[in-house]
Amino acid sequence: MPRDASTDKPLVELVNVTKIYPPDVVAVEDVSLRIYKGEILFLTGMSGAGKTTLIKLICCLETPTRGLIEVAGRDLSRISSAGIQRMRQKIGVAYQDFRLLDKQTVLQNIAMAMEVTYTSTKVIRARVDELLALLNLSDKRDKLAGELSRGEQQRVALARAAANGPSLLLADEPTGNLDPTATELVINLFRHLNEKNGSTIVVATHDPSIYADTEHRVMALNKGQLSAHPNRSPRQIELFEA
Amino acid sequence: MQFLAYILRQTGKNLRQTWGTQVMTLLTVTLSVLLFAFFFLIYTNMLRASARLGDDVRLIVYLDQEVAEQMRPGLEKKIRDFGPVEKIVFVSRTEAFARLSAQLGKEKDVLNDLGPDFLPPSIEVYPLKTLNDLTKISQFSDFLLTLPHAAKVQSGSDWLRRFGYFTNLLRAVVLLSGGLLIISMTFIVSYTLRLTVLSRQGELEILRLLGATSAYIRLPLLLEGMLQGFLGSSLGLAALYFLYQYIASRFSGPGFLKLFDFAFFPPELTASILLAGIVLCTVGSLFSIRRFIRI
Ligand SMILES: Nc1ncnc2c1ncn2[C@@H]1O[C@H](COP(=O)(O)OP(=O)(O)OP(=O)(O)O)[C@@H](O)[C@H]1O
Ligand SMILES: [Mg+2]
Repeated sequence: MPRDASTDKPLVELVNVTKIYPPDVVAVEDVSLRIYKGEILFLTGMSGAGKTTLIKLICCLETPTRGLIEVAGRDLSRISSAGIQRMRQKIGVAYQDFRLLDKQTVLQNIAMAMEVTYTSTKVIRARVDELLALLNLSDKRDKLAGELSRGEQQRVALARAAANGPSLLLADEPTGNLDPTATELVINLFRHLNEKNGSTIVVATHDPSIYADTEHRVMALNKGQLSAHPNRSPRQIELFEA
Repeated sequence: MQFLAYILRQTGKNLRQTWGTQVMTLLTVTLSVLLFAFFFLIYTNMLRASARLGDDVRLIVYLDQEVAEQMRPGLEKKIRDFGPVEKIVFVSRTEAFARLSAQLGKEKDVLNDLGPDFLPPSIEVYPLKTLNDLTKISQFSDFLLTLPHAAKVQSGSDWLRRFGYFTNLLRAVVLLSGGLLIISMTFIVSYTLRLTVLSRQGELEILRLLGATSAYIRLPLLLEGMLQGFLGSSLGLAALYFLYQYIASRFSGPGFLKLFDFAFFPPELTASILLAGIVLCTVGSLFSIRRFIRI
């Protein structure tokens, strides 16, 4: 989806954000970043670079040690806990560790995300079937999440994050356990959400295959510090600095 | 609508997940209500009985000499000065005799041999209803004994005193079982809810991540407490009612129940006990929610 960086207010804005885990682990250091509505952004970096931390900061699972984070124009440090919950309904997060309920079925796991927004059972059914078809998991709908393979669980986590058609989708290492075919399905799901729904998508990954020849912005985290990905064209670096 | 459906469905899920404990809790709540309501029922009936007996409280001063007409106002003033009195009736020998023969009706022949002088004259003092304290009654009766020509004061206070002791004892039992009720309800319910929360901890954590509002998470738990209170109190009261019916039918005819005019709680009181049960259990669930869920 095209965007106009100069006039749009960013959906997510980080200004000089530093996160230090006690006692002295600097996970994210002085990061400034704007993520615009409708954008797909790849966040790369080695293991331990701070990708997960950055995502947790955006969805309020962690609070920054220093700096300002705004989501949809709201300062996260001033938002009430009810406000955070309301915001989380619009942000889909696929966690690196999935966070599924092993003793519940795939359907129940995905439905939970929609139940908290009081969606009707009928709509939930239809949406779950649609997502599972997109991710080639239709035959697993009534299996317990704990009995699935890692790769299947990963896709269930993604389906749950995408269930509400979120305005912002944060995917942490979404293809870590997937073969190329499944990876392709996931990329297609992102594209689908982005184009049909206008969702902004942030993908944290160290899998170069999914961002190698993308036209979207790629940012690199290195020991907590953010920079434009070295392989990217000058155009993208310019966009980043805008 | 959808909101209500979810809350109810979640409540049902919670109950199913810990149903063993839920049943135990329900039984505990039922028994506490039954115990309390049982003593309370006896107590309220005793109170009503003693109120009715209190109506009849009168002090009779038997005199060894007739009070002359002109002396009466002075004597009456003296009594009224001591305490609040509803009315004072002077009964002369002849009046007492007339009363007795009226009471005997057809049997009054037995009085034929006796002259009208055999009954002593008396003063009947009817204290105000406010005088329901036993110590005050006996003080009053002590005072009346100091009146000129007073030979004996009959107040029935001995019997009243015993009745009063019993009522006091019963009041203590009611208070005790009431306290037990409060403790058992709030603590047991909050303990059961803690189990619910623990059994759902993983789920609650995920719900939080998915943006569940605090109403979505808390209302089912609150409802669980309310439901325990409602069902437990209803069962307890129903059990007491059947017990009451059983005893009433078993001992019908002139007997203990008839003597006291033993009755079940009026509907308002039944509703109040039910409501109190619901409130207590809800408070118990609030304890748990506040303690174990931070959202
Ligand atoms: N809860 C925590 N407490 C202390 N240190 C932490 C915590 N979470 C992460 N860290 C540290 O912060 C740094 C960044 O971690 P983070 O999980 O953000 O990395 P990552 O880029 O997601 O790595 P990976 O690719 O392996 O998932 C690491 O050095 C990690 O050890
Ligand atoms: Mg990570």
